[in-house]
Amino acid sequence: MPLSNQKNGSDGDFDKSESLASRSQGRSPLPRFSPARRRFLKTSAAAASGLALANCARNLSNANSGSSPTATGSPASSPSPAGGSASELYIYTWAGYTDDALIEGFREKTGIQVVVDLYDSNEAMMAKMQAGGGSAYSIIYPSDYTVIEMVKSGMLTSLDKSRVEGLDALKPKWQNPVYDRGNAHSIPTIWGTTGLIYDPQKVGKSIDGWNYIWDNRKNLTRKVTLINDVREVLGATLRTLGYSYNTTNPDQIKKAFNKLVQIKPAIASFLTTGWEDQLASGDITVSMAYSQDAIALIDEKPNLKYIVPQTGSSVWTDTMVIPKSAPNPEAAYAWINYLLQPEIAAEMVKQLGIATPSQAAFDLLPQEIQKDVRRFPTEATLSKCEGIAPVPEKITEVYDQYWTRLTSS
Amino acid sequence: MSSSTPSSSPLAEPSPLAPSGWRKLTRLVEPIVLLVPSGVWLLLLLVAPTLLILELSLIPGFRVGQAAGGYGIGNYIEAFQPIYFQVILRSILFAVGSTVICMMLGFPVAYWIAIMAPLRWRNLLLVLFVLPLWTSSLLRAYAWIAILRPSGVLNSLLNVLHLPNQDWLNQTPAVYIGMAYSFLPYMVLILYASLEKLDRRLLEAASDLGATPQQTFWKVTVPQTLSGIAAGGLLVFITSLGEFVVPELLGGASSMTMSRLIYNQFLGATRNWGLGSSFSILMITGVSIGIALLLKYGDRDTTVT
Repeated sequence: MPLSNQKNGSDGDFDKSESLASRSQGRSPLPRFSPARRRFLKTSAAAASGLALANCARNLSNANSGSSPTATGSPASSPSPAGGSASELYIYTWAGYTDDALIEGFREKTGIQVVVDLYDSNEAMMAKMQAGGGSAYSIIYPSDYTVIEMVKSGMLTSLDKSRVEGLDALKPKWQNPVYDRGNAHSIPTIWGTTGLIYDPQKVGKSIDGWNYIWDNRKNLTRKVTLINDVREVLGATLRTLGYSYNTTNPDQIKKAFNKLVQIKPAIASFLTTGWEDQLASGDITVSMAYSQDAIALIDEKPNLKYIVPQTGSSVWTDTMVIPKSAPNPEAAYAWINYLLQPEIAAEMVKQLGIATPSQAAFDLLPQEIQKDVRRFPTEATLSKCEGIAPVPEKITEVYDQYWTRLTSS
Repeated sequence: MSSSTPSSSPLAEPSPLAPSGWRKLTRLVEPIVLLVPSGVWLLLLLVAPTLLILELSLIPGFRVGQAAGGYGIGNYIEAFQPIYFQVILRSILFAVGSTVICMMLGFPVAYWIAIMAPLRWRNLLLVLFVLPLWTSSLLRAYAWIAILRPSGVLNSLLNVLHLPNQDWLNQTPAVYIGMAYSFLPYMVLILYASLEKLDRRLLEAASDLGATPQQTFWKVTVPQTLSGIAAGGLLVFITSLGEFVVPELLGGASSMTMSRLIYNQFLGATRNWGLGSSFSILMITGVSIGIALLLKYGDRDTTVT
């Protein structure tokens, strides 16, 4: 049951008929129905992934058995008569990273049927892969720091660069990223930031950083949502104290925790997704959000504003990798090459509210998107941002225990 | 019956003892055959996974994909740290609270359907009451968000009635509302089943003998339905103790329950499956002790499923 929700979520992302024509004209009226529905499904998927835990057997087997429900409602997912895995590509990714147009375009070009499964955190994806439940997937979209972990635990194939076309179109800083030198195992695909989204009219001024929440905590009782991720939330707080997102100093983490406790009454809930409707209706004043989620909502509600905090925030890269267990590496390379094409990557930026690491794709974008600091923050802003990196196990436990205290007090 | 075809295997020297031997064999085999489907089911889907969790819980700091250390009780020692107490306490509070609410709301309804409603409406009423169970619990939780949020349905209604607005979403009241709503049908069903069997002549006798309705209720009705009350209460208590969706979606920032804690250990940043397993085992043990006590000291007629 949870799986079919997720699946439909990805299928329902965008209606093909309303592709760039309506979207690329900037602030023109956008599809009313689709984004809200997508959000709902996306949040359902997030919550359902929790439900799935209660039923481990289903959770672990769904990659193989649960794929058929996709057949409903989307032409892209009608089971191919040929059957066999050679013409099917199972992708394990984040909500909102693919849409019908993308999948259909790929099928037209290669004849390969794409089936998308979703996860809502790197950790959940890792747990499933490590438990052996992800053997059907040939493409996964881990974030930067998770690539390090996956390489460390020997889960990823070294990419055969002779089969990858278009890597030189990447911006220089993604040619040789710190999390995966020389892109040996991963292809940077999508990047973005973490920031705050709010309604300037309601707030009455423009917010420039995390400190807004501390300065106004008296007036914000249960009016703020933060991302449901210990490293993002404690990291942002560490940052306001002038420390690194990736500190391994328990004293600094403790200071950040104590500072976070001050705004506890202001926090309505910890939500990675699912804050959108409450923010749009004004029940929530400020939400901490990932840039592409915020931009997707702003496309629908242009009165909202997304900022990357001035004190610095986290910047993340989501990549494509091929796990060693991939049943269909041929199709995986085809998918990677398809997404590396500048036209396709540019299209994704327009459609999905994401930022692309490809210089060639960036050059194809209209000026207004290139200059959109929500998608592409200035170098000055980015220089203050950090990528979240793995910390030793002992420190992860320290983070986790503070998180338990925070969410249970 | 298989005993009717003893000659299916041709015997070389048919002995006079054969028929009774067959009967003996059948008597031995029959219960086994009858138990096999559910037995296999229980072994594969209940006993084996529980043993697996038990094993993981005895490997301190077990993390999947890493070399495991030796056995030990480190996880259990860790599980009893004070920071987890309030999580456990909150789960129990949520469970007790929703059980009490379900009981208070469910008993009158079940009583009315079983005793006062016209006979031909009873089945329909029951079906209507169970109808919400046919939708996803996730959808129902989202519906409550739409109702309870500050600009939601509830406050619009209160505005019309000129009553003060409520801000329950993301707080404890929302959790109680959501859980009570989710589990009320179970309570009503079980209470109905036991109230239906109520001997009404006793009610008449009580009033003939001058008992007030209140006395009749407490001294006649309640004692007779005690088993149903216990079974319903236990079912709601156990299900709400393990509830994940409602506290997660409606409970706000301070709503960590056992389920979420276990979830975090398995799928969160630490991925400490060992610790998560020890929490699971503690929870299973706690609930089992509760059921065992109820079976031992509760009414013998109690049928706990």
